[in-house]
Amino acid sequence: MATTTTETVRLTIDGVPVTVPKGTLVIEAARQMGVMIPHFCYHPKLKPDANCRMCLVEIERMPKLQTSCSTPVAEGMVVHTATTVVNEAHKSVLEFILANHPLDCPVCDQGGRCDLQDFSHEYTPTTSRFLEVKRVFPKEYFSALIETQMNRCVQCLRCVRYCDEVMDVKALAPSGRGTMTEIKHFTTHQLDCEFCGGCVQICPVGAITSRLDLYEFRPWMLKRADTVCTYCGDGCHITIQTKGNDLIEVNSAHGAGRNNGDLCARGFFGYHATTHPDRLQSPLLRRNGELVPATWEEALEFVAETCIALKLKHGPDAFAGLIASRCTNEDLYVFQKFMRLVIGTNRIDGSARYGHINGVRALRRVQGTHRWTVAFEDIVGAEVLLLVGTNITETNPITGLKVKEAVKKYNATLLTIEALVPAIGTISNIANLSAHHFSVHPERFGNVVLGLIKAVVEGGLVAQTLTQRAPAYVEAISQTLRAIPWETLESVTGATSQALMEAARAFVAARRAVVLVGQGVLRTPGGFGVATNLLDLLLLTGKHDRPGCGLAPLAEENNDQGAVEMGALAEFLPGPSDLDDRAARERLAGLWKEELPQRPGATLMQILGDARAGNVKALFVVGENPIGSLPRAAQAKEALERLELLVCQELFLTDTARLAHVVLPACSYAEKDGTFTNTEGHVQAVRHAIDPIGESRPDWEILSALSVLMGYPIEYGDAKEILKEIRNLIPGYGLLGPAPATPRSDEAVVERYLREGYAEDVGARYQLTGAGSFDMAQPATSSAESDRRDAGKVKDGLQLTLVVGQTLFHSGKLSTRAKGLMEVQNAGSLGLNPSDADRIGVTDGDRVRLVNQAGEMTTSVRRLDRVPEGMAVFPEHFDEEARRLLTVSVDPVTQVPYCKSAKVRIERL
Amino acid sequence: MAMKFKAWLKTITFYEILVGMKATLKHLLHYRPITLQYPHEKRTLPDSYRGMLALLRYDDGTEKCVGCDLCEAACPSRVIRVISSEVPGEPTKRYAKEYYMDMTRCLFCGLCVDACPVDALGMTREYEWAVYDKRQLLLSKPQLLAIGDRSFPVREKRLELQHPNVAFFNVAFKFMPPKES
Ligand code: SF4
Ligand code: SF4
Ligand code: SF4
Ligand code: SF4
Ligand code: SF4
Ligand code: FES
Repeated sequence: MATTTTETVRLTIDGVPVTVPKGTLVIEAARQMGVMIPHFCYHPKLKPDANCRMCLVEIERMPKLQTSCSTPVAEGMVVHTATTVVNEAHKSVLEFILANHPLDCPVCDQGGRCDLQDFSHEYTPTTSRFLEVKRVFPKEYFSALIETQMNRCVQCLRCVRYCDEVMDVKALAPSGRGTMTEIKHFTTHQLDCEFCGGCVQICPVGAITSRLDLYEFRPWMLKRADTVCTYCGDGCHITIQTKGNDLIEVNSAHGAGRNNGDLCARGFFGYHATTHPDRLQSPLLRRNGELVPATWEEALEFVAETCIALKLKHGPDAFAGLIASRCTNEDLYVFQKFMRLVIGTNRIDGSARYGHINGVRALRRVQGTHRWTVAFEDIVGAEVLLLVGTNITETNPITGLKVKEAVKKYNATLLTIEALVPAIGTISNIANLSAHHFSVHPERFGNVVLGLIKAVVEGGLVAQTLTQRAPAYVEAISQTLRAIPWETLESVTGATSQALMEAARAFVAARRAVVLVGQGVLRTPGGFGVATNLLDLLLLTGKHDRPGCGLAPLAEENNDQGAVEMGALAEFLPGPSDLDDRAARERLAGLWKEELPQRPGATLMQILGDARAGNVKALFVVGENPIGSLPRAAQAKEALERLELLVCQELFLTDTARLAHVVLPACSYAEKDGTFTNTEGHVQAVRHAIDPIGESRPDWEILSALSVLMGYPIEYGDAKEILKEIRNLIPGYGLLGPAPATPRSDEAVVERYLREGYAEDVGARYQLTGAGSFDMAQPATSSAESDRRDAGKVKDGLQLTLVVGQTLFHSGKLSTRAKGLMEVQNAGSLGLNPSDADRIGVTDGDRVRLVNQAGEMTTSVRRLDRVPEGMAVFPEHFDEEARRLLTVSVDPVTQVPYCKSAKVRIERL
Repeated sequence: MAMKFKAWLKTITFYEILVGMKATLKHLLHYRPITLQYPHEKRTLPDSYRGMLALLRYDDGTEKCVGCDLCEAACPSRVIRVISSEVPGEPTKRYAKEYYMDMTRCLFCGLCVDACPVDALGMTREYEWAVYDKRQLLLSKPQLLAIGDRSFPVREKRLELQHPNVAFFNVAFKFMPPKES
């Protein structure tokens, strides 16, 4: 991707002339013209290793047979792939492999889709000259999710190379010699890695298989559905394979989707969540204070009647709606249409409010787009990548792979501003690949960004064109930054000015620079400002409008971006257009043949506040779970308890659904059709793999049925019809292509921003955050260090910042129903830096108590080298207790509730 | 002259007819019925008779079936349903947790027997399977094993590790070499 050469080479393969780009391998050239050369160790994702000798071909004027997987094409080359000599070679390689192969095919899960089987059929090495006893490896326990059968291994090392080259986890290694080479993990206990399933997928034989569906199927029994993963914004293509109505396995073919066939643990092992026995099977209706099963008719009629009565009594603005970004675009679209037309209110919000909106609003404000101006290809092709608060491995693993690919394969320079410290661990750590790494406290990411901008401004690195175009803008920024002395900046970031300067220079020098900003920034106070500052950085360095450059806010939920574009948020209409955009309102009204409600929308926290105040009487909740997501301090429960009508459309009886008056069972992504829009803005098709569980129905169908009962029918035949309507509104939406068509930034908006837009908050944005309010800077200054050591000695315990965040093995609360993921992580534990752990004298598994003025919790400890000193991380997926310690603050501009970290005192139990 | 006389003699004695009637006349004199008086009399069946299907065991009493589903794939009339799983306590050993045959559909073609890689299926000489309720022809694993037990009293010896160049997925776990320390 980085350097696409246009030089071509002509050669002849099996008598047919072909032209391919220079540097292509013979095996690839042959594949392009439809000749499949048998191979085991070659894989297009991996560097050639040429260890299996299966791919031998005859090349004229070369004395011996050559391995086509490692021989690049040359001008005038004449290749023969099917001569007697070559066939003999194939036969003997197979004879060697089969000499030790257990011929387990009947019981091997690979049977029916095994390369060794296929090649054995094709090259018929039916007689063997070996009489020796076969090698037998004693069976050892490997892991709860991944099974190995080393007797079947052909020692191609694809798994080892994948885990190292692509995943950067390095969990596997060959051990032993010759035929006794065995693939092992490093530790004596069970495998502990990212569980991406990559080794399972890439093994050409049945030596590494998934334990989740061990022996449950034969490949020819499976029905396939190509769809999209629902566990994060990366939007990976997955193929769900089913037998009857059972989910058997998930995989993703090489070359498929935006993920190119790579998956993370959630995608590969997390599919059982949808068929969990706790799934709601029928509607529930509250009768005498109890939720009891009811029929669809009863439930829907109850909702419709209550709604009509409440609307008559209190007006449409006594209603509000919340929708999760896990829903399809079709669901989101119908939801906002239902709320706006049938109910008549703009008071809707969704889970993009938890953070993604910060990124979108920054993009809209500065460059007038609501999407990235870059795509995954640009990340892979970037010369410089700046990651700010992404914790990318755990939040957006596949975007993380693109970063890894850029760095490891194409030598991009990586700058990281992360809470992580570089360390060897069981999962990959992006900080290890970084050329300029700044490890700071999560509330101080913005300070390092300021440092970078200061280095740009003061190092004379501001783009000439910009100084001419917007001198006032440059001057305003320089001026505010001049007011922050380097010393202060150094003390609050722990980074030296030289380091910042070098990083800034590296950034400026690159032709293609992509800035990725993660939820670590977008979900902490000031997130909107930092995202805007990062756009300033791109503007100042003149990269803003260059192709292959841009800011990329990473979405956490799979359809956060879709929720924005479908207008299922307080401030947006579908498009998205601003709620008060007259032209957009008129167009929409024309299309819907109905006037849109005038009154403003309300965001999540406003809705909860109004409900608490008794102004919101009825709430529709689609897949959202405010009680389970917000800390107790947000008083969501108190708010929802006051409602006269709470309708939940849910898969499971969540904390919120427990309070509902009516719970309507909804379909999961595996049971419905539609589209998801991933973090890059690529719209992808979701296809059902199984029939709806119980009586559940897709969310849009439920809303559509309600609308009929309420006398304002919004009816569609199927999800495709909704998409058609969306396309009328947003031309070309979801026309499936291999890659998203990235928008260009709107020069008029940029111009406006450079003229006056920046000025309204430039002073506030260019302030150090978190300064002085806590005693931790990374790396710790010596005095703070000794302070803390003293603090560690006192009985009271240690002062830490607790960060409740996303882990690699889960996504929200949904994945805690997936039995595969629960095998890896089934409870929350507190990640602590080993030296902090030593200070309070705890080791893995010891119990500790966390206390602050809001509350307290007890949990067990896990020592993690990647967690910086002074910080403690806890998975949000098991945060029932941890939420007690958290408080909420609301962003003044974007109304994002920030509730992911708190200061706590930790003590040993 | 002699030839003519012989031909004349054959003509007047209806010789050809006598030759043709020879078998008839013989049976007329030595009467022995061909029809078997079933069910009082039964026929001896050849060894290759394709009768009721059965699941077999090794000499140590363990089931031969490894749950590979190949019989299911081979069967042209979808008689068989195998639900395979891991042998409890023997990691990565496969077996048929459940095994069903819907004998109402079977055409006794024997393809499943051919397909089985471990000779776990056998065709017995049982054919008296008329029932009043069709549902009784949906046979489960214990039933099929019981048929095998009564029809094949002599059982195959369980394989031991290790025959050169032979598959060993059906070797019992206890024959696997222990892990060296
Ligand atoms: S790896 Fe392939 S050849 Fe080997 S036992 Fe499994 S299916 Fe058969
Ligand atoms: S599942 Fe684990 S061992 Fe396998 S490739 Fe992924 S990280 Fe490596
Ligand atoms: S386990 Fe599979 S991928 Fe790994 S070396 Fe063996 S055959 Fe190759
Ligand atoms: S969770 Fe995200 S990265 Fe993982 S498979 Fe799903 S979409 Fe891909
Ligand atoms: S004998 Fe033929 S029809 Fe009957 S179960 Fe076997 S394969 Fe199927
Ligand atoms: S594929 Fe070429 S040597 Fe293995």
